[in-house]
Amino acid sequence: MNPLTSSAIYFTLFSGTMITLFSSHWLLTWVGLEMSMLAIIPILINKGNPRSTEAACKYFLIQATASMILMMGTMINFMDSGQWTLSNPYNQISSFMFTIALSMKMGLAPFHLWVPEVTQGIPLKSGLIMLTWQKIAPISIVYQIAPSMNPTLMLLMGTLSVMLGGWGGLNQTQLRKIMAYSSIAHMGWMMAIVTYNPTLTMFNLVIYIMLTINMFMLLLFYKKTSTLSLSNMWNKFPLLTPTILIVLMSLGGLPPLTGFTPKWIILKELISNNNIIFSSLMATLALLNLYFYTRLIYSTSLTLFPSFNNTKMKWQFENMKLTPFLPTLIITSALSLPLMPLFSLLN
Amino acid sequence: MLKIVIPTMLLAPLMWFSKPSMIWINPSVHSLLISLIVLFTLNRPTNTDLIFSLAFFTDPLSSPLLILTAWLLPLMIMASQSHLTHEPLIRKKLYILMLISLQSFLIMTFSATELIMFYILFEATLIPTLIIITRWGNQAERLNAGLYFLFYTLVGSLPLLVALIYIQKSTGSLNFIISLYQSPNLSMSWTNDILWLACMMAFMVKMPLYGLHLWLPKAHVEAPIAGSMVLAAILLKLGGYGMIRISTFLHPITCNMAYPFIMLSLWGMIMTSSICLRQTDLKSLIAYSSVSHMALVIVAIMIQTPWSFMGATALMIAHGLTSSMLFCLANTNYERIHSRTMTLARGLQSILPLMATWWVLATLTNLALPPSINLIGELFIIMASFTWSNITIILTGLNMLITALYSLYMLIMTQRGKFTYHTLNISPSFTRENTLMFLHIFPLIILSTNPTIILGQLY
Amino acid sequence: MNMFSSLMLTSLVTLSFPIFLTMTNYYKHINYPNYVKISIICALSLCMVPTLMFINSNYELIISNWHWMTIQTFTLSMSFKLDYFSMLFMPVALFVTWSIMEFSMWYMHSDPFINRFFKYLLLFLITMMILVTSNNLFQLFIGWEGVGIMSFLLIGWWYGRTDANTADLQAILYNRIGDIGFVLAMAWFLLNSNSWEFQQLFMMDVSLFPLLGLLLAATGKSAQFGLHPWLPSAMEGPTPVSALLHSSTMVVAGVFLLIRFYPLMEHNKIIQTLTLCLGAITTLFTAICALTQNDIKKIIAFSTSSQLGLMMVTIGINQPHLAFLHICTHAFFKAMLFMCSGSIIHNLNDEQDIRKMGGLFKALPFTSSSLIIGSLALTGTPFLTGFYSKDLIIESANTSYTNAWALTITLLATSLTAVYSTRIIFYVLMGRPRFSTLTSINENNPQLLNSIKRLLIGSIIAGFILSYNIPPMNIPVLTMPTYLKLTALLVTILGFVIAMELNSMTLYLKTKMYSNTSKFSTLLGYFPTIVHRFNPHLNLVMSQKFSSTLLDLVWLEKSIPKLTTNLHSTASTMTSNQKGLIKLYFLSFLTSTLLATMIVFYFHA
Repeated sequence: MNPLTSSAIYFTLFSGTMITLFSSHWLLTWVGLEMSMLAIIPILINKGNPRSTEAACKYFLIQATASMILMMGTMINFMDSGQWTLSNPYNQISSFMFTIALSMKMGLAPFHLWVPEVTQGIPLKSGLIMLTWQKIAPISIVYQIAPSMNPTLMLLMGTLSVMLGGWGGLNQTQLRKIMAYSSIAHMGWMMAIVTYNPTLTMFNLVIYIMLTINMFMLLLFYKKTSTLSLSNMWNKFPLLTPTILIVLMSLGGLPPLTGFTPKWIILKELISNNNIIFSSLMATLALLNLYFYTRLIYSTSLTLFPSFNNTKMKWQFENMKLTPFLPTLIITSALSLPLMPLFSLLN
Repeated sequence: MLKIVIPTMLLAPLMWFSKPSMIWINPSVHSLLISLIVLFTLNRPTNTDLIFSLAFFTDPLSSPLLILTAWLLPLMIMASQSHLTHEPLIRKKLYILMLISLQSFLIMTFSATELIMFYILFEATLIPTLIIITRWGNQAERLNAGLYFLFYTLVGSLPLLVALIYIQKSTGSLNFIISLYQSPNLSMSWTNDILWLACMMAFMVKMPLYGLHLWLPKAHVEAPIAGSMVLAAILLKLGGYGMIRISTFLHPITCNMAYPFIMLSLWGMIMTSSICLRQTDLKSLIAYSSVSHMALVIVAIMIQTPWSFMGATALMIAHGLTSSMLFCLANTNYERIHSRTMTLARGLQSILPLMATWWVLATLTNLALPPSINLIGELFIIMASFTWSNITIILTGLNMLITALYSLYMLIMTQRGKFTYHTLNISPSFTRENTLMFLHIFPLIILSTNPTIILGQLY
Repeated sequence: MNMFSSLMLTSLVTLSFPIFLTMTNYYKHINYPNYVKISIICALSLCMVPTLMFINSNYELIISNWHWMTIQTFTLSMSFKLDYFSMLFMPVALFVTWSIMEFSMWYMHSDPFINRFFKYLLLFLITMMILVTSNNLFQLFIGWEGVGIMSFLLIGWWYGRTDANTADLQAILYNRIGDIGFVLAMAWFLLNSNSWEFQQLFMMDVSLFPLLGLLLAATGKSAQFGLHPWLPSAMEGPTPVSALLHSSTMVVAGVFLLIRFYPLMEHNKIIQTLTLCLGAITTLFTAICALTQNDIKKIIAFSTSSQLGLMMVTIGINQPHLAFLHICTHAFFKAMLFMCSGSIIHNLNDEQDIRKMGGLFKALPFTSSSLIIGSLALTGTPFLTGFYSKDLIIESANTSYTNAWALTITLLATSLTAVYSTRIIFYVLMGRPRFSTLTSINENNPQLLNSIKRLLIGSIIAGFILSYNIPPMNIPVLTMPTYLKLTALLVTILGFVIAMELNSMTLYLKTKMYSNTSKFSTLLGYFPTIVHRFNPHLNLVMSQKFSSTLLDLVWLEKSIPKLTTNLHSTASTMTSNQKGLIKLYFLSFLTSTLLATMIVFYFHA
C-alpha cells in the first residue's frame, strides 16, 4: 500500500477511536465509531484476495448495522431526555439498544458469529488491530453507560460469551480463529463485570490487549496461521517455544501469571455481589479456553514435531528480528501478578 | 524465610551461568545446603509457630513438609542426570530451571500464611510440573497425561477459588494463624455443604481421592524421573496439607460430610492396592500404591482427631520419601532395561547387588515395617479409624495385607528369579545412584529414631 | 543382683555387634561366620547369669530405658520385660541358635554370600529376642514383623528359584493375615486403656474382641489350621533356616504371644475353647498330612505344625506355663531333627525324598542315632526331653473336663506323631540303600558333629534340667488313675507298633489305586487346592477384572474424562458450526435480540 495512503488510513483509524474516547456527545461518539470502522476496511482488504474482501464486507455490514442501532438508540434517548450528552440513559429502550449495538460491535455472544469468520479472512496484522484496537472504542462507551445497563442481561451475555468462546475454540486448528474465539471469551469476562465495576472491565481490557498483542506479534514475525505450521517451528525459532507457552498460559489465566489477575478480581467482584453460581460457571468455563491454548502449547513447545534432518539446523541460519517491545511485553504478560497492588491506582 | 526462598531462586542464575560440566553439580550441592538451612524451622524455642512475616510462617505441620521439599530438590537433580544426557545444553538448563522454579513455588506454598496466596502458589506449581511431564516424558501418552494432570487439578481447584473468595467475603480473613482463633462455626445447611465440597474437592483431586485419581497413574507413569519424584513426594502432599489447613475454616461441616469420603477412600484404598497386585508396569504399580497410601491420609484427615492428624502428617512425610525412592529405583531399572515392564527386568539382584539392598529397604519401608515412620503413620491412622468405627479395621487390615503383598511382589519380580539374557550387558550402578538412594533412606531411618518431629501441630 | 539388668542388656548388645561390623571390612572376612557364632556364645554365657539368678531367686524385673516418644498422654518407650518367659526362653534360643550357626558354617560353606546369610540369621535371632523380651505391644510388634520379614529374606535365600520366591511370599501373606489381628488387638488396647504397656494391659478386664485378634495373630505366625500352608512351603529355604525359623523360634512366636497374654486369656472361657479347638484341629490335621509326605523336611515341618497345635491345645486348657515348657523342650529336638535331615540331604547330594534314602544307619551312624533320639524325644518317650512337657500336657488334657472331642483328637494326633516318626526312621535309616551309589557320604566334619552333639545332649537332658529347675508355676495334676497316667505312653507305643507293622508290610507292596484317605493326606487335605489356590486366584481375577479393568479403565475413565470430552466436543461442534453466510448471522442476531428483549423486560418487570 502506498505509504501516504496507509498513513492516512491509520491516522483515521486512530483518530476515530480517539474521538470516541474523548467525546461526551453521542453524535461525535458515533462519528468516531464510524470513522474507525470505515478506516479499517482498507486495512482488512490489504491483500485484495477474495477472502479478505469477503471478510471486510461482512465486517462492514455488521458494524454498519450496529452503528445504525446505536444511532437509533441515541435518537430515542434524545427524544426522551432532549440531550445528546453521553451519560447514563434513563430510557430503558435506548439503553437496551446501546447494549445490543455495542455487543455487536465488539463481538459479544450471541452477536459474536462474525468475529471468527472475519478474523480468519484477513491478514494477521489486520487481525491484531481488529481484535485489540477496535475493541477500545465500544468498551469505552460501555464503560460510560455501564450503570444503566441491565445487570442480568450483561451477566448472561458475558457467561454465554465465555461459554461459546470456549466451545468454539475447541473446534479450530486455525490460529486466527482461535484468537478470535479467545477474544470472544475475554469480552465475556469484561462484560460480565461491567455493571458491577466498570474499572475492572478496563483493567481486563488492558491485560487482554497486552497479551493479545504479544501473541499476535509472535505469530506475525513467523507468519504462522495454523497449528500445524506452529508445530514445525521448534527448530527454526527456539525462542518461540518458551515464550508462546508463557503467553498462552497467561492468556488462559493460570496463576501465577498475569492473565490470572483480572479473572481473580472479576471473580472477587462477582462474589461480592453474590453471584456465586455465575462466577463458578465462568471460572470453570475458562478452562475450555485453557484447553485449546494447551493444545497450541503442546504443538509448539512441549513436543518436537518430526522434521527432516536438513531442516534441524535451521535455527542457526535464521535471523532474529524481534522488536525491542517483545521482551518487555513477554515479561509483563507473564510476571505482573505480584504488581497487583499497583492496579489499585486504576480506581 | 527469605534465607530459604532467595537462595532457592538464585539457584537459577547459578545454574544458568555455570560451566556446562557443572550445571548438575552446582545446583545439587547448593540446594543440599539450602535444605540444611531449612532444618532450622524445626527449632521452635518458644513452642509457637515461626511467623516470619505477614506472608510467611511455618508451624510443626508445614516445617516437615518444607524440609521434605527442600530435601527433594538435590535428589531430583541428581536423579535426572542420566535421563538428560543426550539433550542439548540449553534444554538441560531449562529442565533444571523448571525444577528450581517448582521448588521455589513449593517452598512458598508450604509457608504461605494466606489461604489465597496458598491457592495461587498451589496452582503455580502446575506449570513447571506440566512442562516437566509433557516436555521430558518418554512416550506419546505423556501429552494425554499432562492434560489429565492439568485439567483434573484445575477443575477441582477453581471451585476452591470461588469458595475462598466467598469465605474471605463472609469472614474477612483467610489467614491460617487467625483462623485457628476465629472459628466461624458454619451452620449446617445445604449451601455450606456445597462450600465444604468446593473447598475440599481441590485437595481431594490432588491427593487423589479414589475416583478422581485417574490423572495420577498417567502422570506418574509418563513423567520423567524428577517429575514422578516430585509428584509422589510433594505435590500429593499439597493436597493433604491443604485439607488439614482448610478444615479449620470448615469446622462443624466436616463431621457430617466426612462419611461418604471416608467410605470412598477406604473402598478405593482396597481397590487401588488390588490393582497394584496385577500391574505389570513398574511405575504404574508405584503410582497406584501412592493412591492407596494417600487414601489412608484422606481417611485420617476426615476423621479429624489428634491421632489421625498425627498419622496423616507422619504418613505424608514417610510416603514422600519412600515413593520417591521407589521411583528412583524404577528409573535406574528403566535406564538399564529401557522398559518399565517388570518381567523384563528380573533377577537384577544377581547383577546389581547393592541396588537390590536399596530395593529391599525401599520395599520394606513401603510395606510399613516397624519401626519405620511409615508404620507410625499407618498405625496411627489405623488406630484413629478403629476408634472412629471398629469395622474399618477389616478394610485397613486388608489393605495392610495387600500392601505387603504387592510391595514384595514388586521386589520379587524385579530382583529375584533368574535374570534374562538381555540384561547381561547393562551398566553397573553408579555412585550417583547409590548416593541418591542413600539420601532417601537416610532420613527415613533417622526420623524413625525421633518421629515426633513429623507428627504435625497437634502433637 | 544389680548385675541382672546390665548383664541382660550386655547380652543383647553383644548379639547385635556383628551387625555393626557390616559397615567395616570384617564383613568381607572369611571368618565372619565365626564372629557371629562367638558373639552368640558370648551372649549365651552373659545371659546365663541372669537366668540362673532368676532360677535361684525368682527375680523378675522390667527395664525401661529409652523414651521414644510421648504422644499427648500416651508414652512409648523401649522397655524390656525380664520375667519367667523371657528369662527362660533366651538361653534356650541362644543355645539352639549357637548350634545352628555352627551347623550352617558346615552346611552353607560353599555359598558365596555366607556372610550375609549369617547376618540374616543373626538379625532374625535379634528380632526374636526383641519379641520375647519386649514389655510393650509396639516393641513386640517390631520383633513380630521383624521375624516375619527376616523369614521372608531367608526363605527366599536362593532367590533364583521360583519355588523359593513363591514360598517366601506365602510366608509373608499368611503372617500378614495374622498381623491384622495383631493390629486389631493393638487398636483395641489403645482405645480402651490408652497404653501398650503389659502391666497396664494385664490389669484390664478385656472383652473377647482383642483376644480374637491375638488368636488370629497367633494363628498366622504359628501356622495354625487355616493359615498353615506357608510352613511346609517354607521348607524351600536352606535347612539351617528351617531349623532356626520354622522349628524352634519364629513359629513359636504366635504361641508365645498367647502365653504372654495368659493373664487376659485365663479368665475368658470362649477364647480358651476357641484356642483349644483350633489347636486340636491343627495338631490332627497336620499330623495326618505328615503321614504320607515323602519330603523329609516337609514331614518334619508338619510335625512342627502338629506340635504347635499341641501347644495351642495346652493354652486352651489353661496351662500356659506348660505350653511354654513345651516350646523350650521342643526347640532342642526339633532343631536337631532338622539338622540331621540337613546332614542327610547334604550327604545325598540334595536329595530330600525319603523313598530314595534308606539304610543310612550304616553310612551315617551319628546322624542316624541323633535322628532316632530326636524322634523318640518328639514322641515323648519317657525321660527324654519331650517327655517332661508332652506327657504333662497329655495328662492335664486327660484330666481336664473341657471339650472331650478336642482332647480325643489331640490324643489321636499324639499317636500319629509316633507314626510319622517311625516312618522317617523306617524309610531313611532302615532297610537297604536306595540312593545313588556314587554319593560319597561322610559325617566327620566337627562343625556338623559338634552342633548336632550339643543338641543331642540337649534333647536328652534339657527337659529334665528345665523341669527340675524352673519355679513351679502350674499346679501339676496330682492324682489320676493309672490308665490315664499311661495313656500318653500307650497311644504313642500303639502308634509305633502300627506304623512299624504297616511300613514293613507295605514297603514292597505295589499299590494300584490310592485310596481316598491316602489322597486326602498326600494332597494335604485338599487345602492347597481349595483355600490356598482358590482364594488368591479369585482375588487376583477380581483385582484384574473388577478393580482394574471395569472400574478404573472403563467406569471411571468413561464417567469423568471421556464424558466431559464428549459433552464438550458435541457442544463445540454444535455451537461453532458455521456456514459463513451473513444472512444467518443476521438471523441469529435478530433472534438473540428478541430473546434479550424478553429477558430484559421480564427481569425489569
